[in-house]
Amino acid sequence: MIGFLAGLGLAVLLGWMAFALLGWALAAALAVWVGGAIGGLAVLLARNTLPLRGMVALLAPFGVMLPAIALRDMAAGAGLPVVPFATFELLVFLVLYLAFLTSAIGLVRLDAYRIGYAPLPVAVMVLAVCLYGFLTGNWFLPLVAVLGQGMWVSGWGSSNWFDHVTHVLLVPVALVVLILRLI
Amino acid sequence: MGSGDIFILALALISVALSGYALWRDETLNWVFAVPRPPAPEPGDAPLFETLFDYRPEKGVAHSPAIVANDETLSVLWFEGSSEAQPDIEIRRAVLGEGPEGWRAGAPETFLTSEALGRAFDPGQLVVTLGNTIQNDAAERSLYATVVSVGGWAMASIAEVRMEGTLPVRARKLDLSPFLNRSFLVRSPMVAYADGSHALPAYFEMGTTYGALVRLNADGRVRDQRRIDGTGVKPIQPMIVALDGARALAFLRDFDDSGQLYLSRTEDGGRHWTLAEATDVPHPNAPVAALSLSGGRILMARNGGGKKSGRLELAVSGDDGKSWHMIHRFEREPGEARYPMLRGLADGRILLAYSTNSKRGVRVVVFNEAWVAAR
Repeated sequence: MIGFLAGLGLAVLLGWMAFALLGWALAAALAVWVGGAIGGLAVLLARNTLPLRGMVALLAPFGVMLPAIALRDMAAGAGLPVVPFATFELLVFLVLYLAFLTSAIGLVRLDAYRIGYAPLPVAVMVLAVCLYGFLTGNWFLPLVAVLGQGMWVSGWGSSNWFDHVTHVLLVPVALVVLILRLI
Repeated sequence: MGSGDIFILALALISVALSGYALWRDETLNWVFAVPRPPAPEPGDAPLFETLFDYRPEKGVAHSPAIVANDETLSVLWFEGSSEAQPDIEIRRAVLGEGPEGWRAGAPETFLTSEALGRAFDPGQLVVTLGNTIQNDAAERSLYATVVSVGGWAMASIAEVRMEGTLPVRARKLDLSPFLNRSFLVRSPMVAYADGSHALPAYFEMGTTYGALVRLNADGRVRDQRRIDGTGVKPIQPMIVALDGARALAFLRDFDDSGQLYLSRTEDGGRHWTLAEATDVPHPNAPVAALSLSGGRILMARNGGGKKSGRLELAVSGDDGKSWHMIHRFEREPGEARYPMLRGLADGRILLAYSTNSKRGVRVVVFNEAWVAAR
């Protein structure tokens, strides 16, 4: 199951990259389907090639959030109603996540990452995300948080919940979105 | 209340159920060290000191030996190739056996390659090179290997590798960092706990560096990690020796090249560690090995004698590491002796493995406490 989920995560990311590139030349709705097909076929046919094995080595565990963000973006491209994140939400995420990464690389003594191994703090964090979603009407974040918790409890993927609901690639993604909004 | 709100409430309920299951299933970590109690030497025991294995490859490096002891075999592993961190590095081993004629070391053989390890992951992963590898004391035929898929050692990960003979059959990386799961390495032997579980001493090497004690659950998945760090130093490669159920010492290499050996202590089974402080032991930027002896003493293999010392020596402490008495200095040889690893055998004998000739050779010696006592 772990291998299957990692393959699925890789397929979504490749499909998202293809969608983004094809979006320059094709209509967004068409780019979604062609990009998705490219991602799926690449993993099915070329998963044991050097580039894909390298991507898995570099980016795994993919978790839930990164593929979910990719699918969300592609769904918006396909014309489905997707409520974009507010600018302040992206800014708050960036500040909190960069502080989190700072603690993880030892720049501060507090090790926030390690609480992602323990059931009780994870339970509190997931419910906090659900509460935030309830108050703002945003079901996407609670869905990712609970799916991540489900995978974490099942032992599928990382033994740390944070790896399911964050990914370091979210930093450049959020930055690009913020910059595009400024332009 | 809209359908979105109901959906979120349903998610919250699912989360509560998942949390309840996770809490019910969670194994409470035992933080009481298993204290090794090696047998004291008998009055009639003859001192023993013997070289079992002395290997030099025709070219390239052979470095960072580890002793692997299980029910089936006793062997020494090291990494070997044209140069450190190169793609042709592989883990090699020599099986050590004891027969009527004494100890005998088998011919060095390839044990683990990057290519074979990459195939053992699910899905397959690129493994560019291999580094320090140690025995996983918590599982049969299992190792912890330092693997690099991109970049250098600062981009390494720790992989648990299950072996069948000389074939890796399953591998997975330990989940230790949110930064692409990078920059954790292993070097020192595992630490045993009273309930039979084990912890893995590891270290983080990207930018600010620190040591870590990694707690694993029964499935070998990471359940917790505790930092062993310092101020103004880069303490890595923690070598942990339990003094009793609650107290332990972690001897640390200073990656900042201060020329001192560093020490951190715990008094609660490894939950919290003091900031690493310099000892009065001058030491190059290199790891030490340590082991409990009978009578509560500690044996250390180190490069005493200064910042550039390439000679290895053995020292004993009878006061929980406060003072040391040097008992043996190995002969001066071309190049540096580095990366010692000590392992006690069930009968009380002690194996010491280390690299020789500035990472271009591997040697294993065996001695006993009678020899230590006679020094």
